[in-house]
Amino acid sequence: MPDIEFFNITKKFGELTANDDISFKILSDTVHCIVGENGAGKSTLMKILFGVYHPDKGYFCIGNDKKVFSSTYDAISNGIGMLFQHYMLIDDFTVLENVILGREPEKKFSLDYRKSENILRELIDKYNLNLSLDKKISDLSISEQQKVEILKILYRNSDIIIFDEPTAVLSPLEVREFFNIVLKFKEDNKTIILITHKLNEVKEIADRVSVLRRGKLVYECTKEELDIEKLSINIIGEIGEKDIVTRKEDVSEKKTLINFKNVGYISGNRKILDNLNLELKTYEIFGICGVEGNGQSEIVRLMMGMIKPSEGNMYKIIGEISLVPDDRIKKGMIENFNIGENILLKSPLHYISKKNIRNISKNIISKYDVRVPDFNVPMSALSGGNQQKVIVAREIELDNKAIIFYHPTRGVDIKATGFINSKIIEMRNSGRAILLISSDIDELLGLSDRLAVLYRGTVSKVFEKNEIDFKDDISRNVLLEKLGKLMIGINQE
Amino acid sequence: MYNSIFAGFVAAVFINLLLSILFSVFTVKLKINQIVTGVGFNLLIAGLAKFLLILIFHSSSNTPRFENFPSFPLFKNIPGVGELLSDYIILFSFALVFLSQYVLFRTTFGLRLRSAGENPEAAESLGVKVRNYKFYGVLISGFLTSLAGIWLASNQNGFSDGMVAGRGYIALAAMIIGKWKPYNIFFACLMFAFFEAFEITIQISGFGIPSQLIQMLPYLITILVLVGFIGKTKPPASDGIPY
Ligand SMILES: Nc1ncnc2c1ncn2[C@@H]1O[C@H](COP(=O)(O)OP(=O)(O)OP(=O)(O)O)[C@@H](O)[C@H]1O
Ligand SMILES: [Mg+2]
Repeated sequence: MPDIEFFNITKKFGELTANDDISFKILSDTVHCIVGENGAGKSTLMKILFGVYHPDKGYFCIGNDKKVFSSTYDAISNGIGMLFQHYMLIDDFTVLENVILGREPEKKFSLDYRKSENILRELIDKYNLNLSLDKKISDLSISEQQKVEILKILYRNSDIIIFDEPTAVLSPLEVREFFNIVLKFKEDNKTIILITHKLNEVKEIADRVSVLRRGKLVYECTKEELDIEKLSINIIGEIGEKDIVTRKEDVSEKKTLINFKNVGYISGNRKILDNLNLELKTYEIFGICGVEGNGQSEIVRLMMGMIKPSEGNMYKIIGEISLVPDDRIKKGMIENFNIGENILLKSPLHYISKKNIRNISKNIISKYDVRVPDFNVPMSALSGGNQQKVIVAREIELDNKAIIFYHPTRGVDIKATGFINSKIIEMRNSGRAILLISSDIDELLGLSDRLAVLYRGTVSKVFEKNEIDFKDDISRNVLLEKLGKLMIGINQE
Repeated sequence: MYNSIFAGFVAAVFINLLLSILFSVFTVKLKINQIVTGVGFNLLIAGLAKFLLILIFHSSSNTPRFENFPSFPLFKNIPGVGELLSDYIILFSFALVFLSQYVLFRTTFGLRLRSAGENPEAAESLGVKVRNYKFYGVLISGFLTSLAGIWLASNQNGFSDGMVAGRGYIALAAMIIGKWKPYNIFFACLMFAFFEAFEITIQISGFGIPSQLIQMLPYLITILVLVGFIGKTKPPASDGIPY
């Protein structure tokens, strides 16, 4: 496979320079990680390589050929595949239809479903993708949808595969599985470009790393030179002060705001929640860990009053609950509205003037360090992590008694993750009741006062604070192993 | 010349295709809202038909009588359905049920056509030329509606003003009740046809039920069926959204 080399790539959006004179090389048959803060320009650069955007200046070479693609289709035809931060799937189509669309095997007068099936089966087996071809996308979990996107790329014989934050939505076990797929790609002489915010993942999988900051390439290193401390300094551009808010001592008069008693929830003929018990209390962060699809979203929907339990009872003694939803695009915002409008959506009725939209936006932008080209742009022009910050900010500022964080730091960079985590602790200290659902085990261990493992719609175990406080790496690993097993249903007690 | 039904056939198809092209220029190329454009066309053409009627035939209500198509002889003598099955357009419309099912769900063209209605961004990213498929879609539906109009006029041996009588909306209702699936739509259409025949029978028998009440029937049925039996019907995700 040929190398890819960028030469002086520059891309502006209005006043903002998203990519500023970037030149570097990606070696063939390697895993190349690209890291950087939210809004650093990572996705933009990759979209240029994939033909979504045109650079204002500069070009890139694949091997010796100078290239600039005019469309994604052009890029695909040249052997490039990209997994976007936000998936491009047709919900009402089956896995098979989604994958073959645009490149369908045909026999005389019709689509050759049999042949498509055989080709895809082979790919699924080869890369252990574990997908069933005739399921509809709307019935798949996020990690399965991701596999469909991967299958789409494989089906088009791409040799260069770009992954934009693929692990943000995966649980630790699924990350393992994903990395195995990536390593297999490497074995097959494919070049992999991977964007992530998780530096331990970089350490694990990268052959080379490039760091972007505010549109510029600021640092590069190889696997051998890689040092997480140094990398994170280069990402942030300063030595990060660890301003983690300290957790106040437990208070004794906690009050239960939401109480699930033997709750069951049936949808169609599937039992999604089964005999579930949990309590959400003031002055407490209640963490839930588990593989996605074990009932997390139903718990959230029950609490929000969107569905009712089929069995058992849910007692709730508060009205409004804030929610940071798992899918920011579909459930958290209106893409064509600007920041201020998206925030006002949830405030009490209110006279809306240009001035007060501006003030609200500016306030959130500075308080939560949202990086935007202009306060007035629609949400769709914000980078993924910055969109997330806006949603989190809105929900925190609502100042309700209870708040649900469903993947609060999904796609958010290290610094902002630290900031959001401290905010969560601050809210807990001031007596809010907090439900935290996350795929990031470290986040759960660091924040939770109690941590429940959710498996097949029921809480299989609850850890108290002292049980998840580890003293050293060894006890941490023991704990992680235990959690990992519980999450797939192995209970050793 | 006035009395050649075949010339009429060709003219109807030609004009419908022309209008379809115009419609897709507005909605696909210029991305004007489809409902607004549709309502505009609807009003314009109803008026235009009447205008031309006066201009050409000097009547504000109907054309002179003309002969129907020759009939298809093969099934003519089957008792009960013989008359039905000797009509070319009706025969074709039966075939169309299977043909559209096949084209939509078994061919590459159908897959791409549906993808354009479900998620045009995703389709385009895979090299599907979404605009072209939207154009083909409008063109096909224009051709099919021309057949519907031709049948209506030829069956009555003449065109009269307002003879369509809201059947286009009934067709939309059938599509919704049929959940955008040809076989289901076929049965929905049969159901509407049954109630229309029922309406006529009752009117003729003169039970003294106000005819307006009976004319409401198909619409009432649509609402009842939708609420009572079919449950949630989901249109293609990007239905009606300009791309
Ligand atoms: N279509 C657009 N219009 C205007 N500005 C845009 C557009 N796309 C991106 N930007 C801006 O360009 C900058 C870089 O965005 P980009 O999506 O490349 O960031 P990123 O490094 O991928 O960040 P994240 O880690 O949050 O995904 C951001 O400030 C963003 O707001
Ligand atoms: Mg990004």
